[in-house]
Formats: sequence, C-alpha cells, structure tokens
Amino acid sequence: MSKFGDWLNERFPAREMMREHLTEYYAPKNFNILYYTGSLLLLMIVFQFVSGFLLMAHYVPTSKEAFSSVQGIMYDTRWGWLVRYMHVDGVSLIFILLYLHMGRGMLYGSYRKPRELLWLIGYVIYIMMMGEAFFGYILPFGNLSYWAGVVITSIVHAIPVIGPGLTTLVRGGTGIGTATLERFLALHAVLWFMIIAALIVLHILALHQVGSNNPDGIEIKKLKGADGIPLDGIPFHPYYTVKDVFGVGVFLTIFAAIIFYAPTMHGVFLERTTFFPANPMVSLPDVTPPWYLAPYYAMLRAIPNKYEGIILMAAAVMFPFFLPWLDRNPVRSSRYRPVYKAMIIIMGITFFTLAWVGEQPALPKYFLVERLGAAIYIGFYVLLPIISSIEPTKKVPERVRS
Amino acid sequence: MIRKAWVGAIAGALVSLGLGLAQAETLATPSYTFNKPTVIAGAKLFAEHCSSCHAVGSLRYNRLAGDLGMTKAEIKKDIMLPGGSHYLEGMEPAMTQADAAKWFGLPPPDLSHIVRATGARFIYTYLTSFYWDPQRPSGWNNHVFPNVAMPNVLAPWGGTYAKDGKELKAGVEPKAAYDQQVADIVAFLRYASDPSVFVRREIGGYVIGTLVVLSILAYFMKREYWKDVHDREEAQKKGEGMGTGSSKPKS
Amino acid sequence: MAKTVEGKKDGPNMGRRRFLTAATSVVGVAAIGTMAVAMVDSLEPTAAEAAAGVTVANLDPIEAGMQLTVPWQKNPVIIVNRTPAMLATLGEMEKKGILRDPNSDVPQQPTYCKNQYRSRKPEWLVMVRICTHLCCIPHYRPKKGTVTPWWLGGFHCPCHGSMYDLSGRVTKGSPAPHNMVVPDYTFSSDGKSVTITTMPPHAHLC
Repeated sequence: MSKFGDWLNERFPAREMMREHLTEYYAPKNFNILYYTGSLLLLMIVFQFVSGFLLMAHYVPTSKEAFSSVQGIMYDTRWGWLVRYMHVDGVSLIFILLYLHMGRGMLYGSYRKPRELLWLIGYVIYIMMMGEAFFGYILPFGNLSYWAGVVITSIVHAIPVIGPGLTTLVRGGTGIGTATLERFLALHAVLWFMIIAALIVLHILALHQVGSNNPDGIEIKKLKGADGIPLDGIPFHPYYTVKDVFGVGVFLTIFAAIIFYAPTMHGVFLERTTFFPANPMVSLPDVTPPWYLAPYYAMLRAIPNKYEGIILMAAAVMFPFFLPWLDRNPVRSSRYRPVYKAMIIIMGITFFTLAWVGEQPALPKYFLVERLGAAIYIGFYVLLPIISSIEPTKKVPERVRS
Repeated sequence: MIRKAWVGAIAGALVSLGLGLAQAETLATPSYTFNKPTVIAGAKLFAEHCSSCHAVGSLRYNRLAGDLGMTKAEIKKDIMLPGGSHYLEGMEPAMTQADAAKWFGLPPPDLSHIVRATGARFIYTYLTSFYWDPQRPSGWNNHVFPNVAMPNVLAPWGGTYAKDGKELKAGVEPKAAYDQQVADIVAFLRYASDPSVFVRREIGGYVIGTLVVLSILAYFMKREYWKDVHDREEAQKKGEGMGTGSSKPKS
Repeated sequence: MAKTVEGKKDGPNMGRRRFLTAATSVVGVAAIGTMAVAMVDSLEPTAAEAAAGVTVANLDPIEAGMQLTVPWQKNPVIIVNRTPAMLATLGEMEKKGILRDPNSDVPQQPTYCKNQYRSRKPEWLVMVRICTHLCCIPHYRPKKGTVTPWWLGGFHCPCHGSMYDLSGRVTKGSPAPHNMVVPDYTFSSDGKSVTITTMPPHAHLC
C-alpha cells in the first residue's frame, strides 16, 4: 500500500492535497448545525449528477415525446420512479440547503473581509443554480413546463434592444418546441452543470485559502499555539469528516422519507400541472414558479408594470451580491450585533412569506403582502450601510465559545 | 397531434376547474383505506364501467398484475377487455378514438395521471356530482364540471338526481355501498397515477431503517473522535497544553 | 494528541474507535452498494421495450411450402408453412445421422417446441432466422439438391456455409454450434395469426 503510495506521490501530489485540504486544514471547533449544509450540498450535487445521467439515458428531447418519455421513466423503467424522485426532490432540498447555507453566511458575517470572494463565488453558484433549475423544469414538458418556459423567456424579451433577438435565440424559434428542449437539455446537462462544478471547486479552494468562519465570527488564525496551529482550530479530518458522516446519515434519512412517503410533497416539490402534457392552446389558470424562485416572482408581481417589475426582481436577485460592501460594522457575527440579528430574522421571515405569496394566484388581495415584502427586502439592503455603521455591538470574546 | 391537443384541452379545462374549485369550496374526501384490496376492487369496477371509453395508457396490464399481486389469468378475466390492448401494453380502450369523437364530440381523456393532476378529492366529488339536465345532449350535467360531455354511466347503481339534489330515480345499490364503490374507483386511479406507491411503501421502511442505523453508528463514532477535542479543551483550560495541544489525527 | 492524553483514564479508546469506524463504513458501503445496484438496474430494458418486442403475424397469406419473414425485436423471424413432404425430410435427416443436436437437447427453443418439428403445430415453423455462427441470415432452400447433391431442403448460410434442416437443426461439419433459435409464440384461437413474444431464457442467438 505505501509502496504504491510512494509511487503515486512521486507523480501526483495526493498526500500533499490530503494534508492541505483535510488533515492539516484547521477548522474552528465551534461549528453548529448550519455548518452541515456545505458538505450536504456537495453530496446533493453528486446525487443530481448520477440521477440526471440516468434520466438522460431514457429522456427524449422532442416536443412529441418528452412528456411520454418522462412518464415512461415513471412507469416502465426499473427503479425509474426512484431516479426521478431523487432528481426532482433533490432540487428542492438543494435550495433548502442553499438558503440555509447563505443564511448562515449572513448570520455570522462570513461574507466579510477576507471572505468577499468566497461569498461572491458562492452567490454566482446560487444564480447559476436558478438557471440550472429553470432549464431542468422545462424538460419534462408538462403544461407547467411549457408555460413556465414561455413566461420566463418572455422576461428575456424585455431586455432593451437585444431582447427580441435573444428570446428567439434562447427558444430556438418563435415558440417553445423541440429546438428549445434540445438546447435546454444541452445547457442543463453540459454547459451549466460544468460551470457550476467548476465554480464549486473554486469556492472550496477560496475557502481553504482564507479558512472557515464560525458562529462567533472570530478569526481563529489570530491565536496560534507554539506549533503554529490555531488554538481553536481542529483538523478537518478526522473530526469534521466523522461529524459530516453523521450529518449525511440524518439528512439522507429525511431525503428517503420524502422520496418514499411524500415524493411530490403535496404538489410543492412536484407540481400538479406537470402531469398534463404541454399544450400551447391551454394556458394554466395561474403560472407560479417553484417555491424556491417564488420570492422573486412575488416581487415581480408587486409592481403592476412589466419593465419596473422586472427591474425590481433583477435588483432583488443582485443585492446580496454586494453584501460584503454594504455591511460596514467591524463586528462580524450577529451574535454580537442584536440590531443586525433582528434585521436578518425579519429578512428571513419576509423571504419565506414572499415565497408563499409567490405561489398564490395573482389576486389583488395579495398585492399588499407582495409590496410590503418587496419593501422590506429592498429596505434591508438599502438601510444596511447606515444601520451597520451606527448600531450598538456587544463585546466580542477572544476565543470562540464551545 | 389533433387528438393530443384535444386531450390537453380537456385536461386544461379539468385543471382550471380543479384548482378553481379547490379555492371555492371544500371537496368531498372519499372515505377509503388506500390499499391493494381497494385498488383491485377499483380496477375491476373501472374495467366494468369506465375502460370501454377511457384509457389508462401509461399503466401496463403486467405492471398492474405485479404491483397488485394478481395473476395474468385474473387480469385477463377481470380487467382486460376483448379487443383491447395486449397484456404487455398500456390499458387502452376497446372503443376507438374516432368513434368516441363521433359520440361525445371529443375523445374521452386518458386517465393515467388524472389523480396526480387534479387530486383524488376532485375526482370523487366529480363522480358523485352528476345531475339530470334534459337540456344537455347526453341528458347529464355536473355541479363541479359544468356542461361536461361525459354521461353519468354509474346512474343505474347510484341513482338519478335533479339539480337541486332531489332523487328522481333510485339506484340499485344502497348509498353506502355505492359511495364505497366510487371511492374504490378513485383508489384505483390514484394508484394508476402513482404506480410506485406500493413498492415505495414496501421498501421504504427498510431504507429508512438502514439510514437510521447508519446515523446512530455515525453519531457514536463522531462522539468517540470528538473526545480528543474535549480533552484538548480541558488541557488548554488547565494551562498545561498551551501550544502543544494540537489534535493530530491518528494515522 | 496521543502525547497530551497519554496516561489519562478517559483518553481515546482506540478499539472502540476502530470498531465504530468499521461498523459505520460497513453500513454506509452496504447502503451505497444497494443504491448503486438499483441505479444500474434502471439502465436495463424497460417495460416499453418488452412490449414493443411482441410481433403479431398473419398466417393467411402463407401458402403451403412458402415462408414469410417478419421483424421481431429487431431480428428476422421466419414462418414456414411446411408441407407433409417437407416434414418427411426431418426424419430422413435424423436417419442420416448428420445432425449435431437432433433431439434439440440444447435449450434453443421453448420446452413445448422440443420435438422433431421444433414447433407447436408440425406444419408451422416459427424461428429466428439468424445463423448461430456469426449472426448472418441463412437462405431458405426448400428444394432437394439445391445446395449439395444430398440436400433434402433446409437453410444454408451464405457467410460460412452452415447448413440446417427444415426444422433449423444444424448439420455436423457446419461452423455454427447450435440449432437456430425458436422464440416463444402462441397461435390465436382461430389459428389465423401467431404472436411472437419472448426469447427463451437460455437461448444462444449467435
């Protein structure tokens, strides 16, 4: 074994990489439950890759056969239901994990210097994930897929000057059809996925350059022992690998419970209207996006003007990108910033309220909630630079709390 | 393609109805236990009353046999219709689509995904909401699906009612038995729209059990390893380990 | 770590640690392995493939002594309406002793076709028309003397010269190892059509 190891290491830096990224990568010892999300996201991406590959082995990207080929997976392929539910429910779980992962970053100030780039790469991954989810959403070609495709590509149409041409380019024609399915499959399974995979590698490399933040927001590298190892740091392997195995076990138990007992999650993870074939003649009573994109959709509807609504939605998506420069307080973690903590909690509640209202039919009775939600969401980012410079803070301890 | 468009048109109408109704009023919940016996009973009733017009094209007879534990002979006797599709193929109606379009104006929709798409409660309510309406060509109308093309084929069993709910002609079945039969048909359609349901229930427990065992083992493993971290904290607190208190992994 | 905790009562219990790591790994690998089996299984032929594999052929147009070849699961299947004279050659071939597997002992056919005619009804031969040597399609040569002077009628493969009798039984000296494959089939109740369904489980096609 070690003979082979020597042979390998003369030719490939396997041990060096092990040391650098696992056994001698020192992570703060006070990670809480939110710190499982990173490794779980990595696991889920692998699951999506495997299940997606298997789905693609049966999928036919034509407007005539897409729907029936997906139903063929559900009815005729051995374990096809397992593969598809893994892929479909996996998307919702990925977005749950993503929101927890980003919420954690906001709670503990993980976007702050020197982790700005880490945050930016992560946020780009999130935006790419939205695109990935959208392309995948169209492929089963149920009626919901069709109309979601029409609605979203018509947003592209609103871009000045190049909009109309770009829409035709994206659709591969004037409408959504075989050409659209073919290019969306190529984008979904090849280009977008490869970009996301590459960004994940960059995200991890950037993390290992600056080191992990922690719930106290204290830089553990400041206090090192005589051996040069941070006093509050522990090697990632074996301590966090064994901890993550436990996290994976619990998470997979939940995942399996969903797949086996509530695979559509009562129409939330897999919508009812996906069970009718695409039909350009019959519009849906209300086209609502999946829950994970619904907050932005609610903000789009908050303004009864096409262009202004789209601009508001784009701003909502882009604001968190600038978080590292909007927050001006020297203290990182919300544990020592009560005002900021309250703002984040209100923000979180607002985000999920917007998700709920975005799923409701477009009725005037929801306008107030939509507008209030949009105002709070935008208000958070606009007011943050001011509030963060004047807010009172608690004393930050020297060492992390265990 | 034209057939597909029509099916889609009906489907779209159904969806809007189903969704609109879900908002407007409470739907009746079929009272049944969803298990193999009710689904088998429903499949037999479906074959008797529905499958001469409606296909369940995604569901193959042999799949039905495997999932419900029926033999090929039973399927052939109770479920398959003469002139219908082959045992290895989906449940296709004996009536041709051309005939259907002639009789009803539209071909009756394929019901493979109908419960997933509209919900069991909608289907149950729809089947029990027919009323006699002489102005319709078929003589039938429906409270939750106005001007539906389908006649109330179950009227001889369930009875004929006027729009205001008055009984015009009694059915041969007592009300409770009839409601149970309609619920069984809904149970079958619910299975048909999600045929992996029985397999999932059968193996789900084992899968989750294995993962729970894995989680418990991993928890104790984690606790065992993390004793190092707690020991190190103790050492640092006593001041004896400052500097040397690194936790190196065991190779 | 070992250095600082040495001599401590509650130091790491390496045996317990090793046991828990091994137990977790075993359960984890078993779980992943089971899932991998299901995932690979999903690439097996689907039920749609199996249903598409059924061919129904009308027997009406096939006159005595004639054949019809129909596609079945992307293979040619020959249906021959054998005359009594043609059936008589089967016994003659057996008597000559030149058949490699005259009793059809190799399971190249369903059990109900393990007879001299290799069929359900003597006159109707339903057989995959693929030479068991290297997958060529043999010629149908029913007339005597058309291939060799002693030829009684049968199948002759143009690629490497394998010879079969009118039941698809291979002759000694042919490069083909086995008799040609007879698929599972049933006749309709009126006997006017044949439904070809599945491949016998142990059949060697080519």
